[in-house]
Amino acid sequence: MAKYYYDIDDILTEEEFAPVLFHKPANGVTIDPSAETNSVEQGAKVELPFWLAHELHLRQAVSINLPACFDQKTRLEIQADAACVDLRSRCPYFYEFGCKLQPLVTDRTLGILLSTAFKIRYKERLTKVFTATHLTASKFLPFLTIEETNLYEAAHLSMTAFKKWRTGGPRFQRASILGRKRKES
Amino acid sequence: MYGRKGYQLVKDFASGEKGQLKPFNSKLFDETIEECRQNQRLIQSLMRKMEQEGLDVQNNRNADYYGALVHHLSLIRNKRCLMAYVHNRADIVRDLGWRVGLELPPEIQEKLTTLEKEYFKNHSAAIKSYMGKVGIDLNVDMVPPKDPYIKVRVVGDIDEGIVMSDKTTNFARHSMHFLKRTDAEPYIARGQMEELTG
Repeated sequence: MAKYYYDIDDILTEEEFAPVLFHKPANGVTIDPSAETNSVEQGAKVELPFWLAHELHLRQAVSINLPACFDQKTRLEIQADAACVDLRSRCPYFYEFGCKLQPLVTDRTLGILLSTAFKIRYKERLTKVFTATHLTASKFLPFLTIEETNLYEAAHLSMTAFKKWRTGGPRFQRASILGRKRKES
Repeated sequence: MYGRKGYQLVKDFASGEKGQLKPFNSKLFDETIEECRQNQRLIQSLMRKMEQEGLDVQNNRNADYYGALVHHLSLIRNKRCLMAYVHNRADIVRDLGWRVGLELPPEIQEKLTTLEKEYFKNHSAAIKSYMGKVGIDLNVDMVPPKDPYIKVRVVGDIDEGIVMSDKTTNFARHSMHFLKRTDAEPYIARGQMEELTG
């Protein structure tokens, strides 16, 4: 936990919403949009961000259900051809979020779903990095989750570094933090 | 939904181009702190309500308790977002010393807050004093050298009359020079010169 406390991606992952069922009522909170007063009743079904759902789950106040991004339709699509599924629009942190949910939900097939989807998609991306140019990559890049994009970029960087090493070229460069070079007038 | 502002702040940090520094978002930062204050006020009012009803605040698990819990968790969440924002920026600020040099160009300066500038200044001073003690300039040769001299072309504006370790040179724009690697390195990092090869 402490290791990830400052981790930006971890924070963003935990902002993903999951449907929960309240076992206890709560007063003075406006988290249930369907409630008329600013309170949550026992048995209310609400969508909460994971960071809140998780902590409430630990205190037995709610139980967590599977979010829509792991529903039957997505599973069927992954079974058909995992490599072509647009996972990013479903959940940008598909794997990390799934891993966090796995111990908290009753569904026991989630882990297998994640690992099969990842294996198939990883293999596909890896071959693409070595064969396709960066331009054609733009076609499938929007389908990748953040985790996959990071992997893809790492592979791409090492490919370019290797090519650069082989052909030679300037080894000193302007610090990338300064941004792209402005056009000199 | 609670913890929204903190999320937006972190999102703002993450949405920038990779490896780029965005200006400090003090508006969102203050709004996040304000959201924390609201959470705190609501916790206190719920606690007071429980006390007035004569309930044991420590052990009672009624609706007010769970309401206060939600606010407490939201406050902790916002705190985490604030801490992560500052922490990750501090990482970049420390890194600047190694990648850009111990003097910051103005386009970077304007993206930092006064506190971050202060932090950078103190950090640079610590690095300088350490380098003075060990007697090695650790800020050069970031790329392993092949040759002590390199050919460079001037692409930016450099003030005249800079004395390099062996001679005084006039660095007019587009002029080419054969310089000691260690002398040229900071200028290349800041984008005022570029290395010529072949």
